[in-house]
Amino acid sequence: MFPGPEANLLKDRAAMLRKARGFFEERGVIEVDCCALSPRAAIDSNIDVIAASVSDRETGFLHTSPEYAMKRLLAHGSGDIYFLGHVYRKGDIGRVHNPEFAMAEWYRIGLSFTGMIEDTCDFLRLFLGPLPASSISYRESFSRYLGIDYTAASLDELKQAALPFSPSGIESWNRDATVHFLLTHGIEPHLGRGGLTVFTDYPPHEAALARVVEKNGEKVAERFEIYYESVELANGYHELSDAFELRRRFEEENAIRQSQSKETYLLDEAFLEAMSRGIPDCCGVSVGFDRALMLRRKARSLGEVLPFAWPSML
Amino acid sequence: MSTLSTNEIRVGMKVEVDKEPWLIISNEFVKPGKGNAFNRIKMKNMISGRVVERTYKSGEKLDVADIEETQMRFLYKEADGAVFMDEKTFDQITISNEIIGNNQPWLMEELIYQVVFYKGAVIELVPPTFIEMLITETAPGVRGDTSGRVLKPATTETGAKVQVPIFVEEGEKVKIDTRTGEYVSRAGS
Repeated sequence: MFPGPEANLLKDRAAMLRKARGFFEERGVIEVDCCALSPRAAIDSNIDVIAASVSDRETGFLHTSPEYAMKRLLAHGSGDIYFLGHVYRKGDIGRVHNPEFAMAEWYRIGLSFTGMIEDTCDFLRLFLGPLPASSISYRESFSRYLGIDYTAASLDELKQAALPFSPSGIESWNRDATVHFLLTHGIEPHLGRGGLTVFTDYPPHEAALARVVEKNGEKVAERFEIYYESVELANGYHELSDAFELRRRFEEENAIRQSQSKETYLLDEAFLEAMSRGIPDCCGVSVGFDRALMLRRKARSLGEVLPFAWPSML
Repeated sequence: MSTLSTNEIRVGMKVEVDKEPWLIISNEFVKPGKGNAFNRIKMKNMISGRVVERTYKSGEKLDVADIEETQMRFLYKEADGAVFMDEKTFDQITISNEIIGNNQPWLMEELIYQVVFYKGAVIELVPPTFIEMLITETAPGVRGDTSGRVLKPATTETGAKVQVPIFVEEGEKVKIDTRTGEYVSRAGS
């Protein structure tokens, strides 16, 4: 059917899908195929949602991750679950971005935060081989690679540190944008060189849906990301289950969206209602399946490993 | 002036930054999973040729450069430049020697050149990629080697100094690649 490399690529992809399912099967984690189309959008100030016209009167949204749906299942007593399927993000088009991509997301009840990191490293090793893993905190990465204390530094000092990486229009950037710029341009190039880097202890305002704890006298989010060869592959949390706090964070994200003239979204009340009933103490993580496959095949872009990459005009 | 969002900027587009025109070489989308998106844009200054890389916040607007490209016929040389005629309007303009720069040896009467204007002023002259020209001076041809791998210096009718295979004779026409100044083949082949 497909000659040469394409056939190998399809076989390799199929083999990795099978291995991923085997990984969860071994651990007693059951597969759930969550709805891709939802009446409410996920709310994150930096993730835009693709809207779909469901009927003449109704608008739905394609999921940006199966997170809300899976947590509703957890609240119903599903136990350990995983999702392996496609998710959608508006405007994410680039070398390592495709508006539709395959994601593996799973939740483990009672597994510790460090246990979940180990679980995720093992999952990535299915793709990448027996790589060593090392850990670095958000704070340590800024001091090691940029020589700055990112919480004590003034916005001007952060901007000074950013200048060698040629930002444009930085005069008008706020603290968040400047920190994210330093992260993507000054730190990420150093992460995951020759092994997995676990990036952890995020500042509280970047907790997303993770719990915030006190560690060495500092409030940090129990959130981790894993990098290999500077590519972000996984994002995990010790899950926050406080419905009031979640509502507050969603409203905050919506306010940020509004301040950036972006579309705001109605809150997902079904999700918040489930969270108010409570989910078991658990950790969750999502892994970019296509990116893992890309690195496994030593490809430079997602387009090289996706059978149907979005035809980017860039 | 029209603008373009950094998300819409593609290779080959021309933008104005710091009051100068730039040609887009690449535009990479950079975005952490839960963070601000950026566009890392590589561009070449259309006047100085300098290449820079700059990162913008996604969605930021850049001005479109006022660039116009016109096909013009080379008519004749003057002391301080060369006169060209617009193929459509028949307007004539003089392009300075400074702008012609290294393209002096590629000026051949009656050939069509691409002339790039920025805000109405000429900033670049682009000769045809391949030009056929007469060899006016070279050492006598050697019949033995026909591989084309052994080269000798030659001068063309426009004064261009080129390297040609040793079998090429004076009075022959050859095809030259103006981007590299290299011999391509005998003319007509």
